[in-house]
Amino acid sequence: RFRHFQVSRRQISSTVRRQLVNKVPDKQKLFQESNGMPVHLKGGVGDAVLYRATMGLTVLGTAYVIYELVKAALPQKKD
Amino acid sequence: MAHQAHAYHMVDPSPWPLTGAIAALLMTSGLAIWFHFHSTTLMTLGLILLLLTMYQWWRDIIREGTFQGHHTPPVQKGLRYGMILFITSEVFFFLGFFWAFYHSSLAPTPELGGCWPPTGITPLDPFEVPLLNTAVLLASGVTVTWAHHSIMEGERKQAIQSLALTILLGLYFTALQAMEYYEAPFTIADGVYGSTFFVATGFHGLHVIIGSTFLAVCLLRQIQYHFTSEHHFGFEAAAWYWHFVDVVWLFLYVSIYWWGS
Repeated sequence: RFRHFQVSRRQISSTVRRQLVNKVPDKQKLFQESNGMPVHLKGGVGDAVLYRATMGLTVLGTAYVIYELVKAALPQKKD
Repeated sequence: MAHQAHAYHMVDPSPWPLTGAIAALLMTSGLAIWFHFHSTTLMTLGLILLLLTMYQWWRDIIREGTFQGHHTPPVQKGLRYGMILFITSEVFFFLGFFWAFYHSSLAPTPELGGCWPPTGITPLDPFEVPLLNTAVLLASGVTVTWAHHSIMEGERKQAIQSLALTILLGLYFTALQAMEYYEAPFTIADGVYGSTFFVATGFHGLHVIIGSTFLAVCLLRQIQYHFTSEHHFGFEAAAWYWHFVDVVWLFLYVSIYWWGS
């Protein structure tokens, strides 16, 4: 009973500063789930959004760089 | 689900090597396009792609190690080899710039006045801000070692404090160096003195920023309970890198700032 009071007192004084709770076990459960997802998408919807944005920029960027390099390589017609 | 009969890590297929390669292509082509046609769009796009790639690639490594348990002792050994080899390659990178400095400063040409520092150059006083910078980085080497011992001893609060202090010292160095750059009586265009000074110290400064960022990521991970007292290789890699940055500065200080003045 005495120990219970000690714990409560400690908790009351420590909530003055935000205590971060250890979420690693939850993450371990999430990323070890047998769902066949590759690690870069296994975190959820956010992963897919970020992946699609990155791949979108990659494809657009590839097209753009080819366009700019071809344009730079062709002789400019001077009137 | 099939389980492996070995301790090695067969990684999941990943898109990040491709996006990283395209980022490199965009940044290099973008640099050329900027130089010739004054447009920075391509280079900026490459930079954004690089940042996205780095964030997701390293995020995935944290997932594979900390959350999926793939970093077994043999895998960790490979990661250690990898980091050591990478740092070694960076040593050679800096060696080149030191070669350039000594080439020009040991036998100064008549065009420079036959002396080093060259005629007309007022070098920075090595016993002012550069000496402070030396003390700052040496102190940060102590604090990062304190952080390591704190992690190994399970002292969570001390680990967070010493790691934060290390990062603050790194930022202090960067701020001091930025001020020095602004106030310097010579520029990168001031002959071979300016070139060797700003390229060598400039790349070093970039590495301080990279190292501080790496340590900052470790701080976030330490706060989030990723590191255990036995297994915290990400932090060790950051600490190795930080010590390397410190050693490069010591060579820069002795060679360029002190002997070179």
